[in-house]
Amino acid sequence: MSNELTTAALEDQLDQQTGAVDEIGVDLVEQAYEALDGESADKKKQHPKWEAWKTNFRRHGWILLFIIPAFIYVLIFCYVPMYGILVAFQDYMPGDSIIGSGTTWIGFQNFKTFFSNPNFWDYFLNTFLLCIFGFLVGFPLPIIVALLLNSLRSKKVKKGLQILYYAPHFISLVVMVGMLKLIFGSDGLLDQLSRQMGGDAGGLKLFLTPEAFRPLFIFSGNWQDFGWSAIVYLAALSGVDPALHEAAKMDGASRFRRIFSVDLPAILPTIVMLMILSVGNLMSCGYEKVLLMQTAGNLETSEILSTYVYKFGLMNGQYGVGTAAGLFNSVINVVLLVIANFTSKKLTNNSMW
Amino acid sequence: MKKIIIGVTSAILWVVCVTLFVAFAMGGGGANAEHQFTVLTVKEDAVKDYNTMPVFRELEQETGIDVNWIYNTSAQYSNNTDPVGTKGIDAIYHTGFSNLKLYDYGRRGRIVAIDEYLDSMPNFSRILTARPDIAEALKSPDGHIYSLPRVEEMGLKAYPNILYINKAWIERLIDENKLPENVSLSKEDLRDGLDLYRSEFEALLEQFKSQDMAGGGKTVPLTFVSGNWQGNESDLIASFGVPENREHKTVLNGKITFTIEDEKWFNAITEMHDWCSRGLISSSSFDQDESQFLAHGQDGRYGAFYWWEKDTVLAKEYRDDYIIVLPLKDDDGNRYVGVSNEQEVEKGECVILDACEDKEGLLSYFDKFFEPDYSAQLNYGSIKSGAFLPNKENGKLIPNDDHGEQSADDFRMRNAPYGVVYLTQETWNDSVQMESRAQLRLDNLNNYVKPYVFEGVTSIPNLNYTQQELLDLNTHEFSLSNNIASWYTQAVIGNTAPTRDSWQSMLSVNRNSIDAVLRINQAAYDRYVEATA
Repeated sequence: MSNELTTAALEDQLDQQTGAVDEIGVDLVEQAYEALDGESADKKKQHPKWEAWKTNFRRHGWILLFIIPAFIYVLIFCYVPMYGILVAFQDYMPGDSIIGSGTTWIGFQNFKTFFSNPNFWDYFLNTFLLCIFGFLVGFPLPIIVALLLNSLRSKKVKKGLQILYYAPHFISLVVMVGMLKLIFGSDGLLDQLSRQMGGDAGGLKLFLTPEAFRPLFIFSGNWQDFGWSAIVYLAALSGVDPALHEAAKMDGASRFRRIFSVDLPAILPTIVMLMILSVGNLMSCGYEKVLLMQTAGNLETSEILSTYVYKFGLMNGQYGVGTAAGLFNSVINVVLLVIANFTSKKLTNNSMW
Repeated sequence: MKKIIIGVTSAILWVVCVTLFVAFAMGGGGANAEHQFTVLTVKEDAVKDYNTMPVFRELEQETGIDVNWIYNTSAQYSNNTDPVGTKGIDAIYHTGFSNLKLYDYGRRGRIVAIDEYLDSMPNFSRILTARPDIAEALKSPDGHIYSLPRVEEMGLKAYPNILYINKAWIERLIDENKLPENVSLSKEDLRDGLDLYRSEFEALLEQFKSQDMAGGGKTVPLTFVSGNWQGNESDLIASFGVPENREHKTVLNGKITFTIEDEKWFNAITEMHDWCSRGLISSSSFDQDESQFLAHGQDGRYGAFYWWEKDTVLAKEYRDDYIIVLPLKDDDGNRYVGVSNEQEVEKGECVILDACEDKEGLLSYFDKFFEPDYSAQLNYGSIKSGAFLPNKENGKLIPNDDHGEQSADDFRMRNAPYGVVYLTQETWNDSVQMESRAQLRLDNLNNYVKPYVFEGVTSIPNLNYTQQELLDLNTHEFSLSNNIASWYTQAVIGNTAPTRDSWQSMLSVNRNSIDAVLRINQAAYDRYVEATA
C-alpha cells in the first residue's frame, strides 16, 4: 500500500518535472520502480520494452482519449465501408445483403466486363495523363509560391497576396466551370474575341476541343488551389530559425541563395510527405469537375475511369462493374503509394512508414 | 487533468446523443398508419401537392381507396440508390427505372409481377389483350410485367424536328435587293411550307451572316441542340438521303441499320463541317442544352433553327417572323426525313413493392388511371382546376385554353401529375379533344414533315431483351455512343475537314460493338415482329 502511494507520489513529481512523454521520463520511472520493488525489476529485465510501455500508458494513457474521435471517424467512414468492395465480386443491387444467404457470387465476372470494355485502355490512359500532368504542374507550384511569398520583405504585401491567392479556393465547382464556359466556351469571351479579330470563322471552341480539355482542367484547378495548398508550406517555413538566415546573410548569401540553402531544406520533409500522399492519390482525380466540363466534343480525352464508374456503375445500375472499376483504380493508387514511399525512403530517408 | 477527462467524455457523449437523434429522426419518416397506402413519387416543389389535387380526391371517392403521396424531388431521387428499399411505402410513381433495373428488382422479388394480378385490373388487362405490342414492350426477360406504362400516342414523338426560318430577315433582303443570286423568292412565297433546295438554304444562311441581320454581331444563322430528343440536326443530315436520328440507328425495311455506315452520312458530315467552318452553323449548337437554346432565341437572333414548335423558342413579338421550311431538297429535288426512336409507350412509370400488403387493392386503384377521363386529367390537370371545360361536348372532354396570366406550359407543369396514362387514337376520337397546341403540331407534321419520311423506315419499337442481351448491349452501347459522339463532333466542328480514312477507321475501331448492337437488336426485333404479328 505504502509502496503504491509512494509510486503515485513519484509519478506526480515526475509529471511536474517532465511534463511530456519522453524517454528520460520513462527511464526515471523505471529507476523509481527499481528502487521500490526489486521483484518487478527482475520481471522488467525480461521484458523491458513492454514494461516501459505499460508504465508509460499508466502515466499518460488518458492522452489517448484525444484520438478516440479520430479513431471512430476513420473506423466508421474508412474501414467499415471497405466491406463494400465485395460488391465487385457479386451480382448486386442496392438492398441486397452483401454477406448473407441471398448473395450471388459471380467471381471475376464484373472485372471481365470492365476490362473487356472496348475503350478500357483509352479511359485508363486519359485518367493517367490527366492526373500525372495535374501532379506535375500542381505539386511544385504551391512550393514555389510559398517560397516566394516567404521571402517578401513587406509583411503587408505578403498577407495581401496570400489572401488574393487562396480566395479562389472558395469558389464552388459549379460556379467555377460556369466561369470557364463563359470565358472559353462556344460564344464565350475568347470565342467572340477571336471572331471579332478575324480568326477562322468557326471561332475558338475550347470546350469542344479534346486537346484543350486537359490544360483547361489542370490550369483552372491549379489557379483555384495553388494559394490554398501553399498554406501548409508557409506554415512549415514559419518554423525556420531566423538565426539561420542571419548567419547566411553574414556569409554574404543572396536572397535567392538563402531560399535554396535555408528555406528549401527546412521544408523538405514536408514536401516529401505531401508528395508521397499525392502520389497515393495520383489516379483519383474527382469525377465532378470532369463531368461538368465534359462535352461530346472533348469526350475523347475527358472520359476517365471515375466518370465511367459514375455513368456505367451508378447511372446504368451496374453497381458490381462500377465497384470493380473503382477497386482497380484504388489498387493502382496503393501500388503507387508504396513505390513512392519506398523511393523516398531510399533517396531522402523520409517516409510514412 | 480531471477537467480534460470530463471535457473529452462530455464531447463524446454529445456526439453520441446527436448521432442517435439524427438516426431516429431519419428513420421516423415514411409510413403513415392513418392511410391505406403510401406511394413515393418524384415531384418538383413547383408542382401542387398530389394529396390535394382534385383528380386524386375524385379517384379516392370513386374507389374508396385512400392513398397518401410522399415526395422526392428529382435531385433527391437521383441520389437515392435504393428507392425500392424506402421504409413504409407500397409503390413508387415516376420510377424512371430502365429495363435492366426493372428486371433486376423483379427477379429478386422486390417489386411485384403485375401480370399475376390482372384479375384486379380490368382496364389494364383489356389494354394488354387489345394491344399485343404494348404487352410485348412491357415484358421483362422472364416474361413478367413489372411496371405500369405511360402510353401517350399522338404521332408526334417520331418526328421531333421542324425547320423554321426567319421570314422577316428574308423580307428585308428582298427589300434591299440583297437576296443571294441562286435564290428567287417573292414575299408571297414566304409562308409556312417554304420550299427550298439545300443550296438555296445555305446561300440564305450565308447572307444572314454576312449582312449581320440581327445586328451587333449577334446573328446566329442556323442552330439546334445536338443530340437532344427534339430540335436536333438529324433531319439536316437526313436531307442527304440517309434516315438519320439521334441514335444513328433505325429500322430500314425490317432490318436494324446504323446510319453511320452509310456513305451519304459521311457526305452529310463533310458538308456540315464546311457550314460550321464558315460560321453558318453556330458552334454552340454542340454544347448548349435546351434551356440555353431557348434563352438565346427569345430576342429573334436565330436565322433558322430546328425545334418542335416556335412558340417556346421565341418571345411573343418575334413569333410571326418565323415560318416553317419543308424538309430541304437535295440537288435532284428529293426530300428525306428520318424517324426518331422516341417511344410513345414508356415502361417503368410505376412499380408496386413486394412490401405492399394489399397488392390487389392498390393495383385496382392504379387500374383506374387507364380510364380516358382520369388519363386526360392526370396528363393535363384536373377538370376542377380548370384544365378542361366543366361540361363535355359530344361526350368529349374539351381542353380549356384560357389560363389567365399563366402560360399553358406553366399551368400544366403545376397542375398535372403525369405518369401512368393511356391516351391513344381511340381516346382522341371518342373521349378527349386534343389540346390545340398538340393539334397544331400534329397538323404541321402532317402537312410539312410526314409526307417526306423515308420509305420503308420505321422507329425501333420498345424491344424485349434477354438478360445476357441487356448486359451486352449496356457494355457495347456505352462505348459506341461515346466514340460516335466524339468522332462526329470533332468531324463537324474540328479545324480540319473529316477524311474518309478517319471515318473508316472510326468504323473499324468500333466494328465489334456495331456488329454486336446490330445483332442483339435484330434478334430482339425479329422476336417482337413474331410476337405482335
